[in-house]
Amino acid sequence: MDTMASQSDPTAGASEVSLNDLDKQIETLMRCETISEAEVKGLCAKAKEILIQEGNVQIINTPVTICGDIHGQFYDLMELFRVGGKIPYTNYLFLGDFVDRGHYSVETFLLLLALKVRYPDRMMLIRGNHESRQITQVYGFYDECVRKYGNATVWKCCTDVFDCLPLSAVIDGRIFCVHGGLSPSIQTLDEIRAIERKQEVPHDGAMCDLLWSDPEDTIGWGMSPRGAGYLFGSDVAKQFCESNNVDLICRAHQLVMEGFKWHFNETVLTVWSAPNYCYRCGNVAAILELDENGNKDFSIFEAAPQENRGAPAKKPLPDYFL
Amino acid sequence: MAAVMDTNVEETENGSLYPIAVLIDELRNEDVQLRLNSIRKLSTIALALGVERTRNELIHFLTDTIYDEDEVLLVLAEQLGNFTPLVGGADFVHCLLPPLENLATVEETVVRDKAVESLRKIAEKHSSAALEEHFIPMVKRLATGDWFTSRSSACGLFSVCYPRVGPAVKAELRNMYRQLCRDDTPMVRRAAAAKMGEFAKVLEKDAIVEEYNQMFLDLVIDEQDSVRLLMVEACIAMSSVIPKADMVKHVKPALVALIEDKSWRVRYMVAEKFVELQNALGGMDESTVNELVGYFTNLLKDAEGEVRGAAAQRIEGFCKTLPEAFREQAIINHILPVIKELVSDQNQHVKGELASVIMGLGPIVGKQVTETHLLPIYTAMLRDSTAEVRLNIISSLEKVSDVIGASMMRDEVLPAVIELGEDGKWRVRLALVTLMPLLAQQLGREFFDEKLLPLCMTWLTDHVHAIREAATNTLKQLTQKFGGEWATRTLVPKAVQLSKDNNYLHRQTALSMLTGLSEAVGNDQTVADVLPIVKQLANDNVPNVRFNVAKSLVRIGKIVSPSVLQSEIKPILSQLGGDTDFDVRYFADEARTALNL
Repeated sequence: MDTMASQSDPTAGASEVSLNDLDKQIETLMRCETISEAEVKGLCAKAKEILIQEGNVQIINTPVTICGDIHGQFYDLMELFRVGGKIPYTNYLFLGDFVDRGHYSVETFLLLLALKVRYPDRMMLIRGNHESRQITQVYGFYDECVRKYGNATVWKCCTDVFDCLPLSAVIDGRIFCVHGGLSPSIQTLDEIRAIERKQEVPHDGAMCDLLWSDPEDTIGWGMSPRGAGYLFGSDVAKQFCESNNVDLICRAHQLVMEGFKWHFNETVLTVWSAPNYCYRCGNVAAILELDENGNKDFSIFEAAPQENRGAPAKKPLPDYFL
Repeated sequence: MAAVMDTNVEETENGSLYPIAVLIDELRNEDVQLRLNSIRKLSTIALALGVERTRNELIHFLTDTIYDEDEVLLVLAEQLGNFTPLVGGADFVHCLLPPLENLATVEETVVRDKAVESLRKIAEKHSSAALEEHFIPMVKRLATGDWFTSRSSACGLFSVCYPRVGPAVKAELRNMYRQLCRDDTPMVRRAAAAKMGEFAKVLEKDAIVEEYNQMFLDLVIDEQDSVRLLMVEACIAMSSVIPKADMVKHVKPALVALIEDKSWRVRYMVAEKFVELQNALGGMDESTVNELVGYFTNLLKDAEGEVRGAAAQRIEGFCKTLPEAFREQAIINHILPVIKELVSDQNQHVKGELASVIMGLGPIVGKQVTETHLLPIYTAMLRDSTAEVRLNIISSLEKVSDVIGASMMRDEVLPAVIELGEDGKWRVRLALVTLMPLLAQQLGREFFDEKLLPLCMTWLTDHVHAIREAATNTLKQLTQKFGGEWATRTLVPKAVQLSKDNNYLHRQTALSMLTGLSEAVGNDQTVADVLPIVKQLANDNVPNVRFNVAKSLVRIGKIVSPSVLQSEIKPILSQLGGDTDFDVRYFADEARTALNL
């Protein structure tokens, strides 16, 4: 993957994180155990340094495996790695929505982040609409941080990292990847590059739309029932692809029961990677494997079986935060 | 309550008073999280205060904390169990009783249980005198409390204090326990039933027969099934402590009642514990064996699937435990006929359980019986509609291998194996992959090459990484079994093909396969077959392949001779050490360090 040389070495730069420490943190997080608050601070500082150097439209080369929403479903993320291969064996692009709703947003996000810092060239993360201060206070990540660490410091560190995440990516110049979809204020990739992204996700405007919009079987633009972003029709997708010389818009953001779904004559693709979403939707999940010649191969998987979900606490502690 | 807070803590030797003051302050902070953090560090506070002030001030303050959130109380209850040294040891340990007594009465079960656990812990720290003076009165208060919570908690405290008190107090305690067994509230009777086994173990033998027996029988016929099911364990525990004659007279009828209980949850518990129960009844004369076999087959025929499944799981254990003199007859005449019906049970779960244990009977009954009775069951289950059942039965192939003939292997076992190897669920395929070395053993090389090797090859390009990885491992084991010449002929061409695949994941599979191969065949063949392909992959366009070459070379480097290490491996790693990609350079350096190059 094309990235700046200084990025590839996690030990370079102002923040001190040794590869050895990172490997230990990854090992801990892989067991679904949290790392210390001090370690989170160091990790987030390093992550911000790396992420801020990436573009609003991050340039990525194949081969890479594209994943959609994860939503704190840690054990299902482990299942994803069993099916797709671990990092750095396999290269990954995650399309945002790492946190909220699932029970392990803290472990899930910190693991993905630690992998990003350890292997900046093998792991790509872009921002989803849940990577936001406002949304995480409503859908679980904030409460989980406070419950697991006793205060909001970890949440603050993580949300500062959210502001540095790229908004989109382009693979081999042919596949445009974004969490939600298109925006009426955006015609070209250069317009995305011009966004000042280092901020909380705004309530409207181009940056908000990229993270919130959905494709819809219509022509032109429509109001989104989500209250943010827009619905975009097939002509909008076609126009965007032609203007920017891309073949495909790959996005996540919407639950699809079969794990992936084509729209508009295969110009838009939804990939969803949280099986049995919210532990009750009954859907399967998918990842899209692109080999170095751009060949597409979907892998479908189900939620991890109960015996792979760690030992559940006999009786959960009183959960008066939720 | 404010005494601790308002007093200034004296300077400690390093003068760092501030943190302790903060902790104490936080004990009554409005924010529950801060209180929780502070409670977790309670021992630090106590240490700073010293034993006297901990007793006089801190414990008093904590006794009032009873109105706090459950989460805080839980941590408090746990902490107090380890507080004995912090209040001044055995002479003063009873000062911990008031706060724990309070915690043992709260509504939240988790907190109560933790308080009881801590009380049990500190009971043994009391001197005998202190036990009678402080602990026993507390047990009495709890056992006669108005609210059921305190009476439930009391049940867990009898066994820890009973052995260390005088005869008069003992009689009193027995009497109290009997009251608890007849309590109006089911929750209390449940607690009494759950603790009955451990209490029986500390009772005097005649006390059990004379008094305990009655309380025991009360609970066995309790109106609540949640109470009765706890008595299964109690019966088993009782049997081990009383004389055989008394057991037969008192415990056995109780057990029989539980085996035939009208509630399936009780019967389920019986099925779960059947082997222990069988041991408890002991005395394996013919009539007892017949009785037991009767009860067990009834559970196998139970109306509830859950009960049948639990009983099926214990078939092997039950048969093993039968006395040898009657074993074979009992199995052939009584148990096998019931098992044959279970083979077509409507419940998949029951069949799955049966499939995983049934072949365990083989070694118990011997070859003859296996052939005539077990083999037909094996065949029938191979054709079951559920993948789990087929998988479980195939996994037990080893146990029947010496009675399965070549034709049965070909006509029955193989088709089932191949079908499972292509199952849609990847975990089923994975189980099959790991079963291959065993199947190879049974089939022999030629037959395996013809029938199953193609299947193994398709797994190398499976969609699921875990399958590809397991397949390379399986092929390594097969190479160890079939030898290097076999690998050169069958596996190396496949590795060459995969190493030129368009997909980097498949090229990495080739690498993983070759690495395993080199470990199975040693230096010469590694140089001839493996290294040429690895060298080519070291120049791959995709960095992932290149750094996996470096990782593989750590393993391969340990196989080859020192001269090959220097002449072949070192140049590859030097080249990778100057790669444009950071990860490639990193793993090349790691490899050089590991190999001392």
